Formats: sequence, structure tokens, C-alpha cells
Amino acid sequence: MTDLVRRSLAELVGTFILVFFGPGAAAITLMIASGASKPNEFNIGIGALGGLGDWLAIGLAFAFAITASIYAVGKISGCHINPAVTIALWATKRFPTNEVLPYILAQLVGAALGSFAFAAAAGMDAVTIGGLGATAPFPGISYGQAMLAEIIGTFLLMFVIMGIAVDSRAPQQFAGLIIGLTVGGIIITIGNISGSSLNPARTFGPYLGDFLLGGINLWNFFPIYVIGPIVGAVLAAFLYDYLAKE
Amino acid sequence: MKCYLCKEQGKDTDAVAICIVCGMGICMEHLVREETELWKGDYPFPAKKLKRTIPRIVCVICHEAMEE
Repeated sequence: MTDLVRRSLAELVGTFILVFFGPGAAAITLMIASGASKPNEFNIGIGALGGLGDWLAIGLAFAFAITASIYAVGKISGCHINPAVTIALWATKRFPTNEVLPYILAQLVGAALGSFAFAAAAGMDAVTIGGLGATAPFPGISYGQAMLAEIIGTFLLMFVIMGIAVDSRAPQQFAGLIIGLTVGGIIITIGNISGSSLNPARTFGPYLGDFLLGGINLWNFFPIYVIGPIVGAVLAAFLYDYLAKE
Repeated sequence: MKCYLCKEQGKDTDAVAICIVCGMGICMEHLVREETELWKGDYPFPAKKLKRTIPRIVCVICHEAMEE
């Protein structure tokens, strides 16, 4: 098995873990809150029982899954588990061009497998009620507002990755923990705006699962979760390089 | 400096190295010199084994303990 295949497989496993546990937590929250009275139109079920605490719980599920993945496969593949991160590292000449496509394909396959595995484990309610944790703009949020939230959210994620992991002056061994918690924090704030994907693969998995398993078709929102994260991540990487220049 | 292990056996041999683990002076007979792999890279870059290695000298006692 070549080195690139082995590393791509590690990306697949890392993204599987992310999508099974992260969006899985969002789907479970919707399933638990199913039938509960919702205080307003802005509330689709996440927050119906625990308010912003629901988003804290979902954010922590993402944080733990990302932290676990980074410490598990970070040394093998780099654990990008996010096409936006791979593209931002490539754009700043830190990642080889010929490895970008294999990495992104592995991330998408891992995300799809994560969603299908979650549907298999939790049952069809995870699709029909939980939507497999798919992201979409929340009621009252426009296409452009959701994209802006994704750009800003992913900007923060990539900015932290640059500061805590890419910069050689960063303290060692903290990256997994800090990046996991950063994603958790972002989700708490923009979760109820755009769904806080920050990652095209994280949205792709649930979208494909919902589409093929008889759930809701959300593909018209997919550009939000491709363009937003990539723009945010690339901007952050270039800005960090400019600011950190010696 | 004399070899500690030789001294224990009643011999008086000059030390040629110091064990990096226990700091004992050791002669050629009581040292193990081996190459240690070097790795570069961590999240978000895959770690790669470097072509060059660094030599490490330990006494036979520490070498045996680390082999367990």
C-alpha cells in the first residue's frame, strides 16, 4: 500500500469519526426533542429542551470527536478531515497539489460512510426526524447570511490551526485539544444560524445519506457549505501568513 | 574517568563514553551504540521519517532494560 493511499485511508477514518459523532449528536438532539413544544419559529428542536445548552452539547460532541481524531491520526495523515483545511494548506504552498484530490475524496467517502453508519445504528428516525444532522440555514436566515456565518466560522477555525499547529513557534501537543474546543465554541454561536458546518465534507455526508435514504433533499444549500468554508479558511491562512511574517 | 562496570569486576579500564541514560562512564566493551530514528511533522502535516539518524550510546545495563 503506497504512502498516499495509507494517509488517505487515515483521512477517511478521521472524517468518519467526525461525522458519526458530530452530526450524530445533532440528529440525536432532534430525535430527543421530537414532539416537544417549540418556543418560537427560530427554534427547530435543537434548543427546545435545553436552550443554548443543546448547542453546547452538540459543540462538545464535535470537540471530542475532532480532538480524538487529531491525536489518533494527526501524525499519519495530518488529520485535515476537512477539504477547506486541505485547500487552505495547498493555497499557501504547504500541501502538494497531487495529494489534494485524494485527500478530499477520502474525506467525502469517510463522511458519507459516517452518515450511513449513524443511520444504521440509530434507525430511520435519525433520517426522517434527525436529518442525519445535516446543515441548512435556520428559519429567517438567508442564503447570504448563512454563507457569511460559515465564512467567519471557518476563518476562526483556520486562523487557530495556523496559530497553534502550522506556526513552528506554537506550543507542541496542544493542537488537538485547542482545535476541537474552537470548533465546539463556534458551533455554540453559529449553530442556530447556518448549522455551523465549517467543512464541506461534514455537510456532504448527511446530505448524501438523507438523499439516498428517503430524507429531505437539501442539495440546493450545498454551495453555502462549500464556498463559505473554503473562502474563510483560505482568507485566514493568507492573513495569518501576512501577520506572522518576520 | 574509568569504566564503572569494569571497576566492579576489579579491572581498571579507561572510560571512552558516558551512558546517556544513567551517566555512567563506560569502556568499549560495556557500551552499545545504536542509531535513533528521527521523525519530522505533526498535525496538520503527516509525520515523515528522516533519512538521517542520530547515534546514541548507552551502557549494556540500560540497553537491556530498554529492550524489555
